[in-house]
Amino acid sequence: MTTTGSKLLIGATVMAVVAAVVYGVIVGGALGTIGLSSAAMGLALLAGVNVYTRDADVSSMDTQAVMAAPAAAAAPGNSMWPIGAAVGGVLLVVGFVTYPVMVVFGVVVLLAATVEWTVQAWSERASGDATFNASLRGRMAHPLEFPVLGAIGLGVVIYSFSRIMLFLSQAGGPAAFATIAALILLVGFVVAFRPTVRSGAVAGVATIALVGLVAGGVAAALEGERELHPHETTGDLGREGQCDTGEETEADENASQTVGAKANLLADIVLHEDGRLEADALGLPGGAGQLVVARNNPTNVRFVNASGEERRLVLDLGTRPAVDENGDVIEDEEVPDQRCTALANEDGNQLLNFTVTEPSASGGPYAFVVPGVDGARVEVVVP
Amino acid sequence: MVREMSAGPSRRRLAGALTALGGVTLLAACAEDAPQDTWQPAGENAQRIQDLQWWVFAIAGAVGLIVFATIAWVSVRYRDRGQPIPRQTHGRPALEIGLTVLPALILVGVAIPTIGTLMDLSRTSDTECVVNVTGQQWWWEVDYPPQEGCGGFSEPIVTSGQMVIPTGTKVLVRGTSRDVIHSWWIPRLNGKRDMVPGRVQTVRLQADRPGIYAGQCTEFCGLSHANMRMEVVALDPADFETWKANQLADYTAPMEGSLAAAGEQVFISQCATCHQVDGLVNADGVPIIAQPQERVFAGAAPNLTNLTTRNTFAGATWDLLTPTCRDDVWNASPEEFGAAYLAGVSADCLNEVDLREWLRNAPAKKPMYADPEQLGPTDGLNRGMPYLALSEAQIDQIIAYLLERQ
Ligand code: HEC
Ligand SMILES: [Cu+2]
Repeated sequence: MTTTGSKLLIGATVMAVVAAVVYGVIVGGALGTIGLSSAAMGLALLAGVNVYTRDADVSSMDTQAVMAAPAAAAAPGNSMWPIGAAVGGVLLVVGFVTYPVMVVFGVVVLLAATVEWTVQAWSERASGDATFNASLRGRMAHPLEFPVLGAIGLGVVIYSFSRIMLFLSQAGGPAAFATIAALILLVGFVVAFRPTVRSGAVAGVATIALVGLVAGGVAAALEGERELHPHETTGDLGREGQCDTGEETEADENASQTVGAKANLLADIVLHEDGRLEADALGLPGGAGQLVVARNNPTNVRFVNASGEERRLVLDLGTRPAVDENGDVIEDEEVPDQRCTALANEDGNQLLNFTVTEPSASGGPYAFVVPGVDGARVEVVVP
Repeated sequence: MVREMSAGPSRRRLAGALTALGGVTLLAACAEDAPQDTWQPAGENAQRIQDLQWWVFAIAGAVGLIVFATIAWVSVRYRDRGQPIPRQTHGRPALEIGLTVLPALILVGVAIPTIGTLMDLSRTSDTECVVNVTGQQWWWEVDYPPQEGCGGFSEPIVTSGQMVIPTGTKVLVRGTSRDVIHSWWIPRLNGKRDMVPGRVQTVRLQADRPGIYAGQCTEFCGLSHANMRMEVVALDPADFETWKANQLADYTAPMEGSLAAAGEQVFISQCATCHQVDGLVNADGVPIIAQPQERVFAGAAPNLTNLTTRNTFAGATWDLLTPTCRDDVWNASPEEFGAAYLAGVSADCLNEVDLREWLRNAPAKKPMYADPEQLGPTDGLNRGMPYLALSEAQIDQIIAYLLERQ
């Protein structure tokens, strides 16, 4: 029986002879022909030796070795990794002229394919025992494969999840996820109380759920996020110099009408029914028309609305330079510098937190006022 | 062998050491010069605490003695002398219930007057005037809002380190903080109270007699927590009026051509960005308003308008008075104390050593995060006063200027 190695060398010898003849006839010239003939002779010699020794040192007497030697082991099956590497290469090349992400993907796929291919090729030739080889491959590759695959799997699940949540409407989200949670609970109950359910069925259901999730995620990602609307706050009113309104603004919607903070406030600023505004400072009761506030110190006061109408409290800090959208100061343009509470309904309270950086002597006069109530005023003194 | 031989002398040495330790502890309890002693109340609030604590400590001490004596007796009486293990018993309901009920009763007995005292000490309805304190790393600002109490204030007064109050008056301290949590404690006048950013906390203070009552920050607040001290200075109501008038007096510019006049210029260029001096104007006659928030993390630096009417500085940690002059104030009789304190800091009495060191390099004297290279976390803002690279001549001028701030 001619061994593989002998076949290779015999084939090479034949090709060298043919090449020498073809070259000598068609191209001519001594050097090439001599070279090719020498190669043919050398290869013939090697082929002879190989045939004589029957591929390396397997004894011709050892009939069992014919079946057991590594070289005689069944050739491993075809590898899929070259295809993977090819895909990576294509991604890389296409990526260079289209989207940079594709280059990244290409590099990743190429790297993964190369590593896997190397490990596979090495392990398949490690011994003549296929089972042992497979376990060897596992020992090499699993510590890398499991975490990476786990992370990718989790990433896909989480990303799909987030896309679906961002796609669903504000009302639809809770409904959808309550349903899904109930379904999961139900399946859990069935599996727990019916041990006879085949594991195959469970795996099937799980796979369908997973595929559904990913498909939903892809669809939702393509559809885009729902419109996210940032809710305006009273801080925005102050920033935009729009505290002066006594009307309800979006910032007042659902604003809590009573404030829990009863202690640790510097003062209550009370709006009476007759339109008087008074400061009831901690330790200085009696309703004053003036409140002293420390400079550069975060301060809390409570607006107590006893007027019988919806009102807000505004801290009027004079004017400040106007700024454009980028936060750059617009020269020669001043806007009102105000802080305000949300609208407090009849007998409601609202909290106001503020810090004054400039003393009233230079930046003032400062005052608490109530839009819509003339003469309601408490002077704020900042030493 | 070796152990047996040395057992005698080493045991004796241990006993000696324990006796000495006990003796020292006992003696420490009788310290005379202890300005921060809760056991020497100097006003009604501290007296309330004293009235509560002496018998609570007495009960606790008696219980402690009984427990330790029992343990000692049991360990000696039933020590291992090779006797057989006695019969083991289990459960003695009467004793167990008794030993649970007795401590519970003691605790209830302690709790009732304790809660009563706490409620009394947190009352704000009967106080006669208000003083604000604001903690920041590492000093206290004190300010007086306009009010009718304490003889009346027409304008706010801002000072630091020392809080001046009239004697025999129920003062309500409203406290807060500009950066981290600090704690205000004048042991001879009342208990301690944490001062928390964004919250206003209250402490009652009342001093029976004129004098200085020392305290210190008791909530760890960073590098110089140990150097964050404060003093309450009690003056009788007439002296308090004099103090108030001094604080509100108009700014007096230094005489032209004097050392102090040069100091004013240095102050304007080097110090006035952080430190407010009320009445100080620039060359065009426009009042100079300090902008400490641009350079200091807490957004504040001590108001120096009347620096030399106080007798400590930098968180009441160093004296502005020389040791002799300081003793004259601290040891003055209650009748003479007011005049001694109101004399302020004269040129002869000025503690130049510490003040010079402060002006030469403040962070070297009081640890503060003021190294320009380490101000990343605060966006370049200092905690405390930075090194200013003043020359000795400039320091001379500034000291002359500061001496006139009274
Ligand atoms: C960057 C701001 C800043 C500058 C500039 C500055 N200081 Fe200060 N200074 C402070 C701060 C903050 C403190 C409080 C430090 C402490 O006690 O922990 C202080 C404390 C003091 C005190 C103690 C005051 C007291 O009541 O306890 C004196 C005196 C003083 N500075 C003098 C000066 C002089 C004089 C200059 C100018 C040469 C100056 N400072 C420049 C921030 C500044
Ligand atoms: Cu502190």
